[in-house]
Amino acid sequence: MAAVADRAPLRTQSDVTRRIVLGVSLVLLAAATIVILLPFVWMVATSFKPETDIVQFPPKLLPSDVTLQHYTDIWHRIAFGRLFVNTLIFAGGVTLISLFFDSLTAYALARMEFPGRDLLFILILATMMLPFQVTLIPIFELLTKLDWINTYQGLIVPRATNAFGIFFLRQFFLSIPKDLEDAARVDGASEFRIYWRVILPLSVPALLTLGLFHFMYNWNDLLWPLVVTTETSMQTLPAGLALFMGQHVTEYGLLMAGSVLATLPLVIAFLLIQRRFVEGIATTGMK
Amino acid sequence: MARNGSAGVLAAPARRLRDGVAYWGASPLRRRRILTAYAFMAPSLLVIAVFLVWPMIRAFQVSFMDYSVLGGSEWIGLENYRNLLSDPAFRNALGNTLYYAAITTPASVGLALGLALLLNQAVPARGFFRGAIFLPVVTSLAIVAIAWTFLLDPDIGLINYWLAKLGVHSGGWLRDPQWAMPAVILVGIWKNVGFYMVMYLAGLQSIPREFYEAASVDGATAWQRFRRITWPLLANTTMFVFIIAAIAALQAFDQIYVMTRGGPFFQTETLVMQIYRLGFTEFEMGYAAAISWVLVLLIFVLSLLQVFYFSRRVVRY
Amino acid sequence: MIRRRLWLFLAAAALAVFVAACGGGGDDNEATPSQPTKNVTLTFWNGFTGPDRPALEEIVKRFNASHPKIKVQMTIMPWDSFFQKLLPSYGSGKGPDIAAMDSVQVPQYADKGVFAPLDDVYTDNVVPKDKLVQSAVEAGKWDDKYYSIPMNFTTLLLYWNKDMFKEAGLDPNKPPADWKQWQNAAVKLTKDENGDGKPEQYGYAIADHATIPMWPILIWGNGGDVVTKDGDVMLDDPKTVNAVEQWSNLIINKKISPIGLGGADADKLFQSKKAAMEVVGPWMTTGFKEAGIDFGLAMVPKGPAKQVTLGTSVQFVLNAKADDDKQAAAYEFFKYWHSQPSQQYWAVHSGFPPTRTDVGKAQLKENPYVAEFGEYADQSQFYLVGVKDFTKVNTNTFEPAIQRILNKKGTPEQVLGNAAKKIEAQTASN
Repeated sequence: MAAVADRAPLRTQSDVTRRIVLGVSLVLLAAATIVILLPFVWMVATSFKPETDIVQFPPKLLPSDVTLQHYTDIWHRIAFGRLFVNTLIFAGGVTLISLFFDSLTAYALARMEFPGRDLLFILILATMMLPFQVTLIPIFELLTKLDWINTYQGLIVPRATNAFGIFFLRQFFLSIPKDLEDAARVDGASEFRIYWRVILPLSVPALLTLGLFHFMYNWNDLLWPLVVTTETSMQTLPAGLALFMGQHVTEYGLLMAGSVLATLPLVIAFLLIQRRFVEGIATTGMK
Repeated sequence: MARNGSAGVLAAPARRLRDGVAYWGASPLRRRRILTAYAFMAPSLLVIAVFLVWPMIRAFQVSFMDYSVLGGSEWIGLENYRNLLSDPAFRNALGNTLYYAAITTPASVGLALGLALLLNQAVPARGFFRGAIFLPVVTSLAIVAIAWTFLLDPDIGLINYWLAKLGVHSGGWLRDPQWAMPAVILVGIWKNVGFYMVMYLAGLQSIPREFYEAASVDGATAWQRFRRITWPLLANTTMFVFIIAAIAALQAFDQIYVMTRGGPFFQTETLVMQIYRLGFTEFEMGYAAAISWVLVLLIFVLSLLQVFYFSRRVVRY
Repeated sequence: MIRRRLWLFLAAAALAVFVAACGGGGDDNEATPSQPTKNVTLTFWNGFTGPDRPALEEIVKRFNASHPKIKVQMTIMPWDSFFQKLLPSYGSGKGPDIAAMDSVQVPQYADKGVFAPLDDVYTDNVVPKDKLVQSAVEAGKWDDKYYSIPMNFTTLLLYWNKDMFKEAGLDPNKPPADWKQWQNAAVKLTKDENGDGKPEQYGYAIADHATIPMWPILIWGNGGDVVTKDGDVMLDDPKTVNAVEQWSNLIINKKISPIGLGGADADKLFQSKKAAMEVVGPWMTTGFKEAGIDFGLAMVPKGPAKQVTLGTSVQFVLNAKADDDKQAAAYEFFKYWHSQPSQQYWAVHSGFPPTRTDVGKAQLKENPYVAEFGEYADQSQFYLVGVKDFTKVNTNTFEPAIQRILNKKGTPEQVLGNAAKKIEAQTASN
């Protein structure tokens, strides 16, 4: 496979032109980044402003009085630690199980031959097209019948597999050279062994990538955990943060402080796997 | 490096079902292979069948009923579907959705490509830029939409305040029927552009540099290199990104729900927003289900069209 | 021997009488559900997020502590999530035992048989009906039965910024008393010094969507209405059209208010001192005070027909599937909620006036504003009472109509005429 790590540009232009192009690129990127980061700067700045300074005119982006009040208060106002753990269990559980199930299915779709393979693939893709607003209620009815309301299995099992994940991994598996598998098959290895020992280890970038997608999607999901659980002991972070949005009065400082704390794990996760992330997408057969 | 002919995943529908060998006519070895395949897929298929397919069937069933979820439903056949054909609210939502998708999709994809090209060079702090541009993808839209609403407040928001200082007279943004849709489109593009950019980055980085080197030796300009090498070799990525972006755009809901609720007077109401409104606030879940099946059809047809359009342009090498 | 038998007989009789006396319960009225006989857990869902939450949680805590056999298990979430969760929950029979929701939302659920009628809460004097705010009580009536009873109540009052009044040459201690004064003040307080067409200061911030209803107050003041208590659509009535015309002209031509405000936007404008007046509920008193605004509170100015403001009430509802024990427990909770001590605590700490009219100003002096909001209960009117599909009528027809008028998509007469026809069709199909 061609190396997908960051590479140096081609030395085909004169030094001066190259510097100019780089300079302009840098300016454009900086401009784009400023626009893109603006809401986040506002969020973080607001989390450090005293509540009375948040709604004012003329508006100020940065705080004139910095306060840590919101960051200390938030632990009293909601059970932040408990919410964090619940969200970790939910998002982490869905991610791990989904990665396992999705990869099994993707492997079958990419590497095995059986009647109805392509049709099945299209059907799986089609499930991505119906909005959840209409499937929420039938799923809830099912969970009620199974008596899975307010349980972890009720939260996790309906999300245990994901059409996009299957799609994504299938592409990735298709691009892995067949030689290694064929050698293993000749040696008499079972399919599962090949999947487990050969394919999965080669797929770490893609798995990390998909894992991050699943994790962040479920970490930020408000409605699903809210509908499936009623016990406050099982609430997730988005539900806890939503408690600061009153019908008439929103407690912006606390809300933003909570959001910063809640988003931090995702940001850290992304920064850690950035490199392998790009690698992961590069080899999903889109060349 | 061996490349699979099925690299264009969405060209799959175009392939014929070679695998249509019946189970019963197959040799024992082949039968075992087929069983193994289904064994692999069993966990996913079970979850999909119970929690995705069954709700879809139920949603289909309900679309033929006057159904409120709370009881008192009755079968009305095709009436929901007939109603939506003559419903001006539906046509409004359909128009808004198509308009939104028609602008958001090319804009997001184009912007993503541009940013990827910029980031594919040896600019300093690449990791920072990449992370910053990807940040919107990772955050919760509900919270960040509050930030946007504050920033876009026409009277006390920072954006209009700064624009006024520069002497630019700005609009009412979310309150203005003319500007609400552009504001919502802006946030939609902002949210996802990082994701598409990362895909393009990956695509760019897997173009062998020998091609560029050969081209420069032949005296090609930067624009020619882009047009003749980069763009065609990115076709597969473009197809994937474009289709994903289109599907997401056609299902636009989150930022609209938080920022405008479909207003002012339904100017930003997309199909999914309408489905939510009818199903959850007006207790007309049957009608909402009918609309959602029309949406599914729309997405499916548009996706197929895109696949056919792009398949012919995909370069296989 | 006969003596021993006699003693035994007397003892048994005494025992029997003793058991009968203890086991009967102390209630005079047979029909009231008696105290729950075993431990009962009541699930209670509502949307009191934000600053209202602590007061509510405290009262529930006190109830649980003083009623060992009953545990109220409360789940709070924002109102829109609440309704999204309520629908599938009731649909699958897993709804909460008791819930709270705005009175306007009750009929569409009651109509589907989801709630139990609560008439006997009043007839059995579990809660003293005559001591509650009457308009809030009547707002819980649907189809001739009380399907909900009040949980909270408030009116909307006029806030005015005294400093801005002084600056504009108006008496800061004399709020406008009638429409003429009100409209003049609004125009005077609207300032566009740099002439760019966008005022730096607005006279009167009024919201047209995502808000506690503010426009109906103006319509009522002129003698009009959207849909009357008897179900007549009055949206195209000349008095209604005239009211909308007057105020929309001021907004469009004199720019006394921005167009397209949501409730929170209007609050933010007053809070950031960009608007001089606002008609809104008690929840903003803390925010405005902390922003350093010297504001006054007064009844909404008198309109040509009457002086009236909006009354609004979140109400308790009981699940129709609740068994006798749960019903008894719920009634205990309602009783506790409406007791004088609870209402005093609630009013002082949440800022909502008490549901009881016999909690005096002296008992409320810890919170200086709350008594005022309760004072005008008699002049408050509830909106769209008895209309089943509040969302269809208000949110999807009336509010867009007002927005269309303000954005000059038609004259008030045209737009309101169309809207009236639509509402007639909506209310007729019930």
